[in-house]
Amino acid sequence: MSDLLQSLNPGTPPDARSYVERAEIDASLRAPVLLFFGTGVAWLLLGSLLGVLAAFKMSFPHLLDSADWLTFGRVRPAHLNIMVYGWASAVGIGVGIWLMARLCRVAPRHRGLLIGAGIAWNLGVLAGTIGILAGQSRSIEWLEFPGWATPILFVAYALIGVWGVIMFRFRRPGHVYVSQWYLLAAFLWFPWLYATANTLLIWQPVQGSVVGAVNWWYGHNVLGLWFTPIGLASAYYMIPKVLGRPIHSYYLSILGFWSLALFYSWNGMHHLIGGPFPAWMISASVVASVMMFIPVITVAINHHATMRGHFHYLKWSPTLRFTVVGAMTYTIVSLQGSLMAIPSLNNLTHFTDYTIGHAHLGLYGFFTMTMFGAMYYIVPRLVGWEWPSAAMIRWHFWLAASGVALMVGSLTLGGFLQGLELNDPQVAFLTSLKTVAPFRFVRACSGILLSAAHLVFAVLFIRMLLRQGGPRAEATLLSPPEIPAV
Amino acid sequence: MNKLPLLFVGILLVFSTSWIGLVAYPYLKLGRLAPEASRDGLVPPPLTASAIGGERVYAANGCIYCHSQQVRPAWLSTDIEKGWGPRQTVARDYIRESPPFLGTMRTGPDLTNIDVRRPDRVWHYQHLYEPGTVTPGSIMPSFRFLFKVQPIKDRPSFEAVAVHGPHAPPRGYEVVPTQDARDLVAYLLSLKHNYPLPEAGDPPAADAGK
Amino acid sequence: MSSERTPPEPESFGDPPQPEEIDLSKIHGSILREHDEPAEGRESVPLWLVTIMMALVFWGGMYLAFYSGGFRAESFNPRRGMAGGAVDSNDPATLGRRVFTQNCVLCHQATGLGVPGVYPPLAGSEWVLGRDWRGDNHLVAILLNGLQGPVRVGGAAFDNAMPGWSILRDEEIAAVLNYIRTAWGNTAPPIPVEFVRQRRGLTAARAAPWSAGELQAIARESAPAPAPQPADELPFRRKAAR
Repeated sequence: MSDLLQSLNPGTPPDARSYVERAEIDASLRAPVLLFFGTGVAWLLLGSLLGVLAAFKMSFPHLLDSADWLTFGRVRPAHLNIMVYGWASAVGIGVGIWLMARLCRVAPRHRGLLIGAGIAWNLGVLAGTIGILAGQSRSIEWLEFPGWATPILFVAYALIGVWGVIMFRFRRPGHVYVSQWYLLAAFLWFPWLYATANTLLIWQPVQGSVVGAVNWWYGHNVLGLWFTPIGLASAYYMIPKVLGRPIHSYYLSILGFWSLALFYSWNGMHHLIGGPFPAWMISASVVASVMMFIPVITVAINHHATMRGHFHYLKWSPTLRFTVVGAMTYTIVSLQGSLMAIPSLNNLTHFTDYTIGHAHLGLYGFFTMTMFGAMYYIVPRLVGWEWPSAAMIRWHFWLAASGVALMVGSLTLGGFLQGLELNDPQVAFLTSLKTVAPFRFVRACSGILLSAAHLVFAVLFIRMLLRQGGPRAEATLLSPPEIPAV
Repeated sequence: MNKLPLLFVGILLVFSTSWIGLVAYPYLKLGRLAPEASRDGLVPPPLTASAIGGERVYAANGCIYCHSQQVRPAWLSTDIEKGWGPRQTVARDYIRESPPFLGTMRTGPDLTNIDVRRPDRVWHYQHLYEPGTVTPGSIMPSFRFLFKVQPIKDRPSFEAVAVHGPHAPPRGYEVVPTQDARDLVAYLLSLKHNYPLPEAGDPPAADAGK
Repeated sequence: MSSERTPPEPESFGDPPQPEEIDLSKIHGSILREHDEPAEGRESVPLWLVTIMMALVFWGGMYLAFYSGGFRAESFNPRRGMAGGAVDSNDPATLGRRVFTQNCVLCHQATGLGVPGVYPPLAGSEWVLGRDWRGDNHLVAILLNGLQGPVRVGGAAFDNAMPGWSILRDEEIAAVLNYIRTAWGNTAPPIPVEFVRQRRGLTAARAAPWSAGELQAIARESAPAPAPQPADELPFRRKAAR
């Protein structure tokens, strides 16, 4: 360990050693993690703007329709890919490397690798977005970036993956915590996923309907085996860390981890029920989707039992409030997903806005909220400053929470009615459009709420970087705590 | 779970099952399907060069985000009763498509058999130029950028698209499709999957039409 | 990159934090006040969860056994031996309904009401029901060759083009005419297959669509008395009959 530790008096309490250790880790990760967070927030703003535009185009088809690069069919994939790669993946990587370093308890080496990766990653997202808007997309969902942009992302990711494995290799010996399993798995799964999908779909396209199978194997696994493990790793870290109590059960953690790995990876074909694929593939995905009940309920018990008796922390801790709302949403959205995979219900929700609502509940209600929670915890340690305004955090939370609730609510209800009409042979097709129209308008308005939340957060983040708001001795809390803050 | 190699191998091994089942298996079993011989030649028929160009236009402009191209079987859904096609679509239907646009949304009608329902080229041009003129109530965006509005020279162009109503071109001007529009319509008119295939089960109603 | 197992020297860190930078008194409060890194409790897995897991695994196995089409790559139906979307196409009522949903529904709509101003309605249409000067021969002619130009239906004017449907078999044409003449409250006698066959023979030379005026010039003819047909209740929703 560092010279400083050796130079400390033998009688130094053990806490001092860990303080210095943490301070070292945070200092050496400051630049790369803030790079991922900062660019992520910038993409979040741009992505929100495109999302709102795409949503209003549903209500007003003539809105900005004269230029090809602003047509709905380009704005929508640009929104999705910016959110998936520019925002969620970038901030997930930032949170992931910080958690990994903290849990491995070594100050990371090769910081340049991460900074280079961060720059390359953002260039890749930028190139891909321009490619989509310029009409280079091949319309393979979640993989719309053109074939000349994805290698940049892959190289960037490879640097991060190499860094992650080195990090893990040189960890301080000792117990490997559940968050580390999830992070290690995510860092290993993603390159496999991304390389397979790009090879078989973009660079050397396979024949016919195989594309659909690989597409949704990838699409669902990005959610299930990339975002979900990072989100869960963060929740598994933040909840016990803020509360200062151990996670409920090691055995539940093991069960949850391995059942997630096994069942989630087989889920993809539930996007294609009734599609041109051998029946057993679809049935396997239906079964795997229903089996997701096991990892989800396991994680839910583990988190809930850890929180039990401490829910009043949600009143004052920004980290915990965002994280716990995210973790609860994870339970809800996953159980909803299990139900939606059952063919007789899928028949109703497939091809409707209901599915879009589900996707936003997962990627926003669960993942993005969890990441906001993690950022509220991590950024003060990197910058050495407390969040400048509790009021702005409250605004951020309530705008984001009400926005996503309104969005998912309107899409779910509208999609349900749309599904009933799409399935009824007596109802003309246009009727289903008239039915969902008001719900789609509400959903577009909910996008404004979310964009406002992101704007508040971006301003807060910049003020944080500029160290505004005066030095504080205590953490910035949402309301005065009823128990002494620690 | 403190043994790194075990964790490492376990993580990759568990994941590889889905890679084998959902990627390698369909690649080996469905990745090299041949067209089927029928009375009218090979089915599905090969795409023309123009239609292949149209596939690219279809992809570039994201038609897939509103239009599916798959007919689900009758035991599961009402797709067939709804008129999207005479039978469920199967893997062989898509061997000419790169990539196939299966889709996940039906904000617009399914297009698997659009040529059967809409064989009229002019209708497609009018619809792409301004959907509301031929389908009142449609929320499809206009694809005017696939057309040129140009002054009429000595006589109107042979492929000028008749556009009436508020979106008509100014007097002395005409609307003509660009190559992208021609290709896109050629692609749409290639979408016809009403031939019989043995693995699809249900012989189509128009089977012995000749 | 070094792969030694020994803890690296400070110099080998990619970006070594300078020891003098880290002063215990300067470490930010957020780091000083945080709890230890999280640990795990050792509570056991509840019995009810194990029970639910077992039940789910059992259900999953049964589902796969019953709904996997024999695990064959060419089997697109989960129930082995069950045809994709087979319906009994010998039943004229079903056949007519199916021809309608495959070919006609997009313009004339499943409601038979058409689209006002664009596509004429079939429900209550004098053309379909054979009112005034319009006979069965006119309806069959429209179906075989199409209809183009201005036409009045139910008091409203339309100006559009309907393609001919001569690719349909005589049985299918008869069936779909039968369907549109009995659906949506329409009540008109069915047109037998023989009549369609006869009309097809008479107009075989013609390729162009009819205009309303041309049709009016042709005398009204009725199909011969229909063979007795069971008044079938059309099923609202077809179920797989296996």
